[in-house]
Amino acid sequence: MIQIEKEAWEVMVAHARAAYPRECCGAMLGVEKDGARRVSVARPMRNAFEGAQEDTYVLDPSEQLQVEKEARARGLSVLGIFHSHPDCDAYFSRRDLENSCPWYSFVVLSVKKGEFDHANSFLPNFDQTAAEKEQLEYSI
Amino acid sequence: MAKILIPTPLRHFVNGQDAVEIAGATVGECLEKLTTDFGDLRKNLFNDEGKLRSFVNVYLNDEDIRYLDKTATAAGDRDTISIVPSIAGGR
Ligand SMILES: [Zn+2]
Repeated sequence: MIQIEKEAWEVMVAHARAAYPRECCGAMLGVEKDGARRVSVARPMRNAFEGAQEDTYVLDPSEQLQVEKEARARGLSVLGIFHSHPDCDAYFSRRDLENSCPWYSFVVLSVKKGEFDHANSFLPNFDQTAAEKEQLEYSI
Repeated sequence: MAKILIPTPLRHFVNGQDAVEIAGATVGECLEKLTTDFGDLRKNLFNDEGKLRSFVNVYLNDEDIRYLDKTATAAGDRDTISIVPSIAGGR
């Protein structure tokens, strides 16, 4: 299960709306306890894809290193990655799966006509062949 | 001894440590040693053929080892090795 605190959730939705009609991406920081991930900080990141970002996002590895350092400095952990799907449902696509990693929760935010619509979280497997849906809670 | 920073989701494989000091001449040797000392970590970093998994990027200090000497990159004292998953997607 992943729970996202109000302030973090607002940052994620704002980042997704601001990037619309392009895909946004970012990291979710917090603590994991008894199998539950609790996100207290959302950290918007740069979409490093050098092309049409309407349907693609790529994290910048040097920014990932930076975010990992920030998390350590705050006593938090990188628990997951979020990205948006402009004008499209919040499913985990084949490309999302093939470029994922089993260590993190992947939250997808659907943004339709510029407004947040719904979200889902996924846990990919090691071979990037399947992802199970994870229970997602956020407060608005 | 190089220092390997352990991403949070992998820390429970290394007794909860956030970094592990490993003696090895190269980045590859350090990762081999790390995943030998902590066997359960192995399948997170290497596939069945013993190759680094496609989503695993390794940095020596602030440099991606793909642009250095890959796993043959020399690692020494005061070097920090980071494991950064490669992540992307699209609808
Ligand atoms: Zn996607």
